[in-house]
Amino acid sequence: MNGTTLPLLAVTLVVCATVGIGVYGLRLARTTSDFLVASRTVSPLWNASAIGGEYLSAASFLGIAGLVMAYGADALWFPVGFVAGYFVLLLLVAAPLRRSGAYTVPDFAEVRLGSQPLRRLCALTAVAIGLLYLVPQLQGAGLALRATTGAPVQVGAVLVAVVVTVNVAGGGMRSATFVQAFQYWLKLTALAVPAVFLLLAWQGDGRPALAGPAGPQFAATTSVRVDSGVRFVVQTPVQVVLDGQPLRLDPGPHHIERGSTVVFPAGAAVPHVDGLEAATGTAWVRPLSGAGGVEHPLYTTYALVLATFLGTMGLPHVLVRFYTNPDGRAARRTTLLVLALLGAFYLLPALYGALGRLYTPELLLTGQTDAVVLALPVAALSGPVGPLLQALLVSGAFAAFLSTSSGLLVTTAGVLAQDLLPAARTVRGFRVAAGVTGALALILALPAAALPLTQVVGLAFAVAAATFCPLLVLGIWWRGLTAPGAAAGLLVGGGLSAAAVTLTLTGAVSGGWPQALLAQPAAWTVPTSFAVMVGGSLLTRRSVPPGVGRTMLALHAPEGLGLRSGADRSSPTATARRSRRAARRSGRAADL
Amino acid sequence: MSSTSSERGRATYTPQEAKYLAAQEAPEFQELRRRYRRWVLPVTAAALAWYFLYVALAAYAPGFMGRPVLGNINVGLIAGLLQFVSTFGITALYVRFADRTLDPISTGIREKFEEGDL
Repeated sequence: MNGTTLPLLAVTLVVCATVGIGVYGLRLARTTSDFLVASRTVSPLWNASAIGGEYLSAASFLGIAGLVMAYGADALWFPVGFVAGYFVLLLLVAAPLRRSGAYTVPDFAEVRLGSQPLRRLCALTAVAIGLLYLVPQLQGAGLALRATTGAPVQVGAVLVAVVVTVNVAGGGMRSATFVQAFQYWLKLTALAVPAVFLLLAWQGDGRPALAGPAGPQFAATTSVRVDSGVRFVVQTPVQVVLDGQPLRLDPGPHHIERGSTVVFPAGAAVPHVDGLEAATGTAWVRPLSGAGGVEHPLYTTYALVLATFLGTMGLPHVLVRFYTNPDGRAARRTTLLVLALLGAFYLLPALYGALGRLYTPELLLTGQTDAVVLALPVAALSGPVGPLLQALLVSGAFAAFLSTSSGLLVTTAGVLAQDLLPAARTVRGFRVAAGVTGALALILALPAAALPLTQVVGLAFAVAAATFCPLLVLGIWWRGLTAPGAAAGLLVGGGLSAAAVTLTLTGAVSGGWPQALLAQPAAWTVPTSFAVMVGGSLLTRRSVPPGVGRTMLALHAPEGLGLRSGADRSSPTATARRSRRAARRSGRAADL
Repeated sequence: MSSTSSERGRATYTPQEAKYLAAQEAPEFQELRRRYRRWVLPVTAAALAWYFLYVALAAYAPGFMGRPVLGNINVGLIAGLLQFVSTFGITALYVRFADRTLDPISTGIREKFEEGDL
């Protein structure tokens, strides 16, 4: 059995299990409402597991450990923000939104402001956020398969895109719930079990220091194979062996061709990939030290906190999950369970990131820190245990890619089918939309990843925070919001975010404040978007929708009075949707 | 969103809708909304302040945050872990608040409404 058999076996097993449970779910899926919200028949623990399974993406499973390894303590704000975003959503938005009967943001825009153009603008934004979040999942799959089997990066991306598209088009949300609940527990196990072995190995090695005054070093003679050409910076001169030839690397930038192998002597300082600065252990554990060369760490951290706290409520696959609870009470229980499940999971990636600096420092040289979780067991453990645990981690990673992609695809395709494709509010239309979304995401994902996975996901949060957060918060809490004002805010917030994302992904701006402002745009785009929405609404006061009092009452009154908001009955498509909503709402009881 | 008199547009309501709008004026409903707002808004603000305080401490008191407690574990890392704990704690408090305070009022309103007292 050679080195690639186990990882391939693990991937095959996860894919088969996913498809298998999907097929099982397919037999249960019958009508359109089954497809979209699983008929609200899921228990809190199942539902919380499914939310966790859906939410813990490639960014969480692989990316956070990679960022912790490269940038130190500040990267821990990603998991904190990913969790805290849920409670902001629960406190400010979830209950009124649930009562409105809207289960996507476009639905909400129509119910609250009664405007079809605004509805379509929201749909477009939701699809853009969905795609921006899907792309790093596919890229993560390519990266994981390359790191463990050496396959070209495109293979993993195509594999995940195809499996997810076929599965979602075939089974919809009902099967997604089962698949995702299963995948949460797989992910937790896959990360927790190897962590125990790695900690024991660290203990056995005499607990080498993580926070010392030195930067990362090669503990033993290390042979580094370069999968793709890499440019790196040497700080202290070092004698290496490049493809069998001795070579002295002087301080300064160097380039190594794809496919080469470099052997570093034991004790040598690890040269870092261009763009990543070597950090001493002391700086690495200290918050806001700018370890790794982060520009303006205080601004970056505040902006990241804003983006994750406020962006979660605008992620298309998160909102829809609140409808799979039978009533508000169950929805609250579910949220509490979700926070516990997410918190338990997020303790682990930091551990991998820290141990990565000791056992796989060469990833700082190749720049592939996103692979640290997969590389650690083989590097730190001897004997057959390493490859076995690596296979377990690969299965967890693929569970992450498949589950998050499924959730995103279900909701993104749902929005696409309902609002942007002509005459497609049927199961068939949904299937077409799923195919279109999957293909679009794949096309965007095939060029090589320019940024760490988690940073791309962070950008999706930033876009959501600058568009849907102001719309939801103002729409729920301020009766003065108008459709033109909301549209102006969405256009400005979305446009600024899109510009920042494009400039960051293409690497067009580097260094100083411009780079910091564009890499974490939420701190200035979110207030701008709020201001434009409020200002625009005040200027168009006469467009406050008639019946706003009734709509606001429906949002804030206890569930179960049979209230339905006003815009519903006036829209041309209302009849179909209303009957579906009525079916969905029949299970209601207490408030969220 | 408080009074029917500010309602624009359609001036005629079905009897059912008129009932809802009357219900909105009921003291129970006002009480529910007041309680909800008085709890949620300050708690959200306090929670955000706690997160931002953590960042500010890291920025302006790095010596304090970097103080080692146990081996490689320093004050900053422990406070970081507390972020998870506090997120969970706040949510647990909200669940308790909603169960004990909001739900009984909601149920009361619904019962009165269904009996035609509102």
